[in-house]
Amino acid sequence: MLPQTMGSETNIKLPISFILFSLFALVLSQIQLLVNGQLMTDGSFRIPVIWSSAHFLVLGWALMAAMGAMYQLVPVAFLTNIWNERFGFIQFFVTAVGITSFAAMLYWSPQNAIIPGVLTLLGILMFLVQMFMTLSKQAKPTILTAFVGSSLVCLFITISLGITLIYSLKTGFASEYYQSIFEAHLLMGVSGWFTLLIFGFSYKMVPMFSLSHGFPMVQAKFVYGFYLSGLVVSLVSFFTNNSILLKIGFLLLLIGFTIFSWHIKIIIKKRLKKTLDKPFRFALVAIGFGNVIHLAAFIMLWNQDVSHFAGPLIYAYLLLWIVLSIVSYLYKIVPFLWWTYKYSKEIGKNKVPSLKEMMNEKIVPTLFSLFIVAVLIVFCALTFHVAILFNIGQFVLSIVFIIIAISILKVLKK
Amino acid sequence: MMNTKVKILSALKSVYDPELNINVVDLGLIYNIEITESNDVTITMTLTTPGCPLHDSITSGVRYSVEGLEETGKVEVNLVWEPAWSPDKMTPEGLRLLGR
Repeated sequence: MLPQTMGSETNIKLPISFILFSLFALVLSQIQLLVNGQLMTDGSFRIPVIWSSAHFLVLGWALMAAMGAMYQLVPVAFLTNIWNERFGFIQFFVTAVGITSFAAMLYWSPQNAIIPGVLTLLGILMFLVQMFMTLSKQAKPTILTAFVGSSLVCLFITISLGITLIYSLKTGFASEYYQSIFEAHLLMGVSGWFTLLIFGFSYKMVPMFSLSHGFPMVQAKFVYGFYLSGLVVSLVSFFTNNSILLKIGFLLLLIGFTIFSWHIKIIIKKRLKKTLDKPFRFALVAIGFGNVIHLAAFIMLWNQDVSHFAGPLIYAYLLLWIVLSIVSYLYKIVPFLWWTYKYSKEIGKNKVPSLKEMMNEKIVPTLFSLFIVAVLIVFCALTFHVAILFNIGQFVLSIVFIIIAISILKVLKK
Repeated sequence: MMNTKVKILSALKSVYDPELNINVVDLGLIYNIEITESNDVTITMTLTTPGCPLHDSITSGVRYSVEGLEETGKVEVNLVWEPAWSPDKMTPEGLRLLGR
């Protein structure tokens, strides 16, 4: 038997600060869309209010929630302590101020968004330093390290391209490449950073939440290889305007995602836990959506009017794959964080609640089903330019998001 | 000695994995309990996965629960990954709680 030293838990205040900020940004981005977003139904995506709301949703909510989750999950998944917790708190402050001022400036004065953009960049760079220093301490890197490390590289590229876009808007620098940089920014952000990150942590969380054992891991290497190749080929196609290369890139992404879905199915089949928790079931549903959207994106490339479908599909990918995955996992991560803070010293001494008792799971199926329906309504509204449909869908979605934020916050009262 | 071991096992049954809501004995996490003549206890145990986020909480809970017994002296928890945990280490009650 090989004795091991005890692990160490991250100071809960660090991940919880990120997650609380993310919930605030989530609610705000939805209210902003509800009030101003009707313009999207005319196909106008690249307008200040959409930039602002999208960045509040993607940076303020999804990125901050992902950062918070990483501060919690990286030490346990990679069996190494966070490099510097104090640095983590400073990073939180810089990033929170950066994102808030950046989203505000995109709304009121986009051409002056460069300074808050640089502050956001600084916060993200600090996060990248923190994570790379932490991962470099890992004794034995695994395929999970490859997924998470690559996702961090993609995050760096996304932010650099984003800053280039703002600089180009202000000075005209590289204006002939503006469209290519914009496409690369989107691809690296949604498929590079978020998808690779969710892939990586899914390989830790899916077996953990389903108590799966004895499953193969060889498929993960193929997922990584195909998906990363797809990202690189698609990226090259944007800058060379080569449509065949773009089709090959999207095909590789589709193959990578499909192998991932199939692999998760194998893992779930090997589970010991017969009944899966409700939020976790929706994290699995999100994988199905992600796969279908990848297929739809590949088919879309054969259509003459690609730009007509691109916006709605990116919207669906963001909401039904990335947001649904993150929200589902937040319903597991937040109770765990709060339980650790409140009860980890009580276990073995007094009766403590289970994690399931920390959260009202009963509302999850209705709430998440409403979320899916609302996103599909907005997706149809964006595809067919129906303003009334957009208003209905976005109204329901905003309400659902607010209830989700409140129900997650209610855990803190347990 | 035998009596103390029974009491230790009983105390350990009050330590639950909060994610699965199954105690550490029925989960098959306890590999060995050693009791010295002076009643110091060494518990050798594992977790279902090396990257378990509840790592510290569960091992501390195991220690606290046994330290709380009148019959025991110093308590040490020895966490091991070899042999790795597998479902066949679970008790029939543990499997039943998982719906198996």
